[in-house]
Amino acid sequence: MSQAASEGAGAAAPPAAPALRRAATAAARTGVVLAKRALMLGVLLAVVFAAIELLPGDAASATSERGESAADTAARRHLLGLDRPVWERFGDWMTALPTGDLGTSARGERVTGLLAAPFPNTLLLGATAFALTFAAALALGCRAALHPGGTVDRIIGFTSGIALALPEFVVSVGLLLVLSLWTGWLPAVTLTAPDGSPASWTMLVMPVLALTVPQAGWNARIVRGALADQAGAPHVAAARLDGLSPRRVLLRHALPGAWPAIATGAATSTGMLLGGAVVVETLFNYPGLGTVLSGAVADRDTPVIAGVVACTGAVISLVLLCADLVRARTLGARP
Amino acid sequence: MSSAALAPYRSRRPPVRVLLAVAPGLLLTLLALTGPLYAPRTEASPVTAPYAPPGRDALLGGDQLGRDVLSRMLHGGSALIGSALAVALLVTALAAVLGCFAVLTPALGRLVERSADVAILLPPVLGMMLIALAWPGGGRLAVMAAATVLGVPYAVRVVASAAAPVAAAGFVEAATASGERLWHLALREILPNLRSTVLALFGLRFVAAVYVISMAGFLQLGPQPPAADWALMIRENAPGALLNPWAVVAPSIAIGLLAVSVNLAADALTPAARRAGAGVR
Repeated sequence: MSQAASEGAGAAAPPAAPALRRAATAAARTGVVLAKRALMLGVLLAVVFAAIELLPGDAASATSERGESAADTAARRHLLGLDRPVWERFGDWMTALPTGDLGTSARGERVTGLLAAPFPNTLLLGATAFALTFAAALALGCRAALHPGGTVDRIIGFTSGIALALPEFVVSVGLLLVLSLWTGWLPAVTLTAPDGSPASWTMLVMPVLALTVPQAGWNARIVRGALADQAGAPHVAAARLDGLSPRRVLLRHALPGAWPAIATGAATSTGMLLGGAVVVETLFNYPGLGTVLSGAVADRDTPVIAGVVACTGAVISLVLLCADLVRARTLGARP
Repeated sequence: MSSAALAPYRSRRPPVRVLLAVAPGLLLTLLALTGPLYAPRTEASPVTAPYAPPGRDALLGGDQLGRDVLSRMLHGGSALIGSALAVALLVTALAAVLGCFAVLTPALGRLVERSADVAILLPPVLGMMLIALAWPGGGRLAVMAAATVLGVPYAVRVVASAAAPVAAAGFVEAATASGERLWHLALREILPNLRSTVLALFGLRFVAAVYVISMAGFLQLGPQPPAADWALMIRENAPGALLNPWAVVAPSIAIGLLAVSVNLAADALTPAARRAGAGVR
């Protein structure tokens, strides 16, 4: 990782330094990391915009009606501003971004309006799955690391290895058959309330579980590995030799040093969770970004796809930023 | 770096156990690739009523058009596994070469780091959608290209981090001092020392490729009907899951088994030291 610059800054502040100066260094460190993450997001959006530009065909021809003349298509191309140079359009779009304006879709609607209802739904799905994943992975990983090489450790290692390999939609099919079609406990399809959100919380259960299973397996392994790395550290060995209970050694001495690796792993899961959400939504008819995307893909709707990438990219950037800060804090705490 | 880090990796697992872990994935792959040879019927001809339950003439019943599910199962795996294998080979080869060059040229190394940092912000499914659109009618080829492009940044990072200690070793410095060319250093001096890394990377990339390609099939981005494809079968037959569950369960089990067995094989090939979260940092 290229975090050396941000780790070095402020890590060496003497303990007697005034609180104000410590706060200033912390703020500066956060600023540097934030700027770096924002820059990366900008690069990603530029790449996405360029990729869509390079595709054959454009929104004007993709949304054309049957029997429309070439002149009509050209007129709409002008209306949508597609006849302007690429860099000019990209510049407009990028400068409008910070004001919360994502441009207009190929059908002439505001992209912000199109995403306003579905994005929170997907975020709710992803955030619930993330919380559940994190809790499950931490519990399983710590439980496995308590007695390395024991029966529980092996069982958890084996099951997490199986779980992390399963694609979300395969887990979804299993859940659907068992929980909905055969037992009838949960609704198979999401019904929406008038405001476009899922009508009841029971409709979240299966999509959340389908997203959680693979990611919990993946993260349980990372937690287990990070704790195993820490077990060899001198301060953990010393605590063990002092005769502290295994549980106390694990939670008080090994876990604090393992946070950076755990946080990074959890942050990488965010992308998988949001991507998986798009897939799972199509199976459960969940009113999220997946539905918007499939329409946008058919219409060659550059602004909508770029808008979705911008939203998910921003969320992932934020989570990665938290992971950066966790790492900086942990490494800063140890001289 | 100590010289221990440069010692060739020896599996502490006995070879028999590695073989046992690799066998299921290998068998399933072979079975799927040769599947069309044993299929009792063609993949596209209707033989039963739509969603007919399993019977004498169709062991797993019929799908939404009354085609034999068993025959479509046997036809539907070869393309999925074939394209996943091709993607895994391509990504591993590209990453092995690029990773070795990246260690020797700092500028390229920085570019690799940055591109992996940017790629992490794009969920694979979205990247897949973007690239598969580039080819209206590209079908499988478009999906394979997308999977390759999306897989390379991480893979290069894995190779580069494994190659760093090798590049700092005395024999490479000696070769550099004696004026060897860059390509000779990368491909003749460094790459041969990374055999275990590259093998493990291939396993991991195969797992990832199966995941991404089946995901694309499920989203109807790659194979188009009436082609038989496990992921697409799940999507097509979901509405009739109550009438003939086998039309959905069979392809789900097939993909699940494939993913799990391939992952077990990749695990067995990965050096124990790097098993936790390979490619995460």
